[in-house]
Amino acid sequence: MKFLLNRANWENFLGQISKTYLIYAPQEFYGELAYQLLAPENVSKTIYNTYRAVQPLKTFFSLPQERVTEETTQAGKTIVLGVKNCDLKAISVMDKIFLEGEFVDPFYKERRDKTLIVSSDCYQPKDTCFCALLDNNPFPEAGFDLNLSQIDSVFLLEVGSPKGESFIAPIKEDLQDVTSDLIQKREKKRKEATERVLEVNREFRTERPFPSVVKDEYASPEWEEAARTCVECGACTNICPSCYCFLLVDTKDEGKFPKVKFWDSCQHTGFARVAAGVNPRAKLYERLRNRYLCKYEYRPENFGIVACTGCGRCVEACQGKIDKREVIKKLEERSGET
Amino acid sequence: MVENPYLPIEAKVEKIIDETSNIKTFVLKSSKKIKFETGQFVQLTIPGSGEAPFTPSSSPSQTEKIELTVMNVGLLTGKLHEMREGEVVGIRGPYGRGYPLDDFYKKEVLILGGGVGMAPLRSLLLTLLENVDKFRRIVLCYGAKTPEDIVYKGAFPEWQKKKKLEILRSVDKAAPGWNETEGLVTVLLDKIEMDLKNSAAVVCGPPIMMKFGTLKLLDLGYQPENIYLSMEKNMSCGLGKCGHCGLGKYFVCKDGPVFKYDLIKDIPDIWL
Repeated sequence: MKFLLNRANWENFLGQISKTYLIYAPQEFYGELAYQLLAPENVSKTIYNTYRAVQPLKTFFSLPQERVTEETTQAGKTIVLGVKNCDLKAISVMDKIFLEGEFVDPFYKERRDKTLIVSSDCYQPKDTCFCALLDNNPFPEAGFDLNLSQIDSVFLLEVGSPKGESFIAPIKEDLQDVTSDLIQKREKKRKEATERVLEVNREFRTERPFPSVVKDEYASPEWEEAARTCVECGACTNICPSCYCFLLVDTKDEGKFPKVKFWDSCQHTGFARVAAGVNPRAKLYERLRNRYLCKYEYRPENFGIVACTGCGRCVEACQGKIDKREVIKKLEERSGET
Repeated sequence: MVENPYLPIEAKVEKIIDETSNIKTFVLKSSKKIKFETGQFVQLTIPGSGEAPFTPSSSPSQTEKIELTVMNVGLLTGKLHEMREGEVVGIRGPYGRGYPLDDFYKKEVLILGGGVGMAPLRSLLLTLLENVDKFRRIVLCYGAKTPEDIVYKGAFPEWQKKKKLEILRSVDKAAPGWNETEGLVTVLLDKIEMDLKNSAAVVCGPPIMMKFGTLKLLDLGYQPENIYLSMEKNMSCGLGKCGHCGLGKYFVCKDGPVFKYDLIKDIPDIWL
């Protein structure tokens, strides 16, 4: 289902419901895009269709720290606006971990259920974006409740789920039929964005797909070289939209068995260490390599989804200036070296 | 809210048995029965201190109480060793996949254990003995550092009387009065003859022993798919979510802790 919706009508609606929902919208923040809590005063400052926000979408569902021996999350009804496809794909990995299998994470589930995702096309990918190198598109195709593509002063609104459909029921009088001209314009913008991603990544393109390079070059000396500037800060895993690892910690708080779940990082020395101190990934380069294997080999084997979506956040966040694309390019270039 | 898998239930430490100078068995009575399959593990919480995974050493048929046999090797196990009878701990679980008993039916089961690795193997052994008609033969090869380091010392005389069960023991370093084998546990494998076509081997022990035990079994002609390993990894959540126990594409807490060797043999550095 696709509709035409005037931006003014949409903003008016958001202003009205901003008291019943927590609405997070990408807005300019010190030269970057960051999710800000929406209120009638700042509703028009939202930037829908440039690139992804600094914070990954996961922060709305898996908190950096959370007490998990509670009975409820007390999460409120939430809307996240302007979500890009890289984050939607990443959330599909998080969903597999936290919602599927024998055990469901009740906190993640409650937040996820109470959140409406309004995605948007990415028209201006950043220089660090590389979704198209991983066969991902800079525009959403699935996993959203609603998608907004701004074309001139109107939105092409696409409904992606029953949840999205009932959400827009109150504004159905504002919805107009979509013209084929509008759809064509959207197609053009989408094509241009994809081309731009490929263009900015020209120097990083490999002959084999990234996952194959990572898998094939397990024994490459490049891993050690790549890890040379890593300071084990964990920024790459914190900022990654699909990194889900956490540590359960017992606290001395009130309550029977108070446990807090903290984001953890596989880059830290003790992450895989077992009793009596044996560490299967004692060397820094082994931990760095493991992160690539997790994204490009292990999770795809589990879920059929490459867990790196090319959002480029780790490239920007790295204190050691490690650029994943460069690492993989070098892995391929040094193929055969041991 | 759906059921919260992070919440432990209470269990009282009913009895503490000294096995060796650094290994104790804790008999726990939980507020609710914990139904587990042999080889599955539980997460034990010491309130305010932390949580760690242990595979019960008791038989699953004993549902009133579960027993955990624990070596004092780190912070949490150190705290556990300081606990007194009557104190309260938390338990979550059971988790993971245990020993696939169906695979062992009508076969000769070789159990290879080292040190405190005997804990899950005792649970397995007791389970096998309870259903002994279903198995052709059970051979237990167990090694410890010294005679003093042998766990379940009191149980062995009783086990030695069981039909269909043969027991061989070794110690790395003998002491006066020891009249069984001296040497690494793998030397016991030279003393037995198994019907390889109808045999499954189960291994649990310290990483180095797991490695050389497995290599020896392969050497003797065991096929990788007939070797069952209890893999030790750092399991934090036990639910297949936190990522700590990754072993290649597997999560040991969910896909293990018992793995057939053929599933994991091509993963690099599995013995670390």
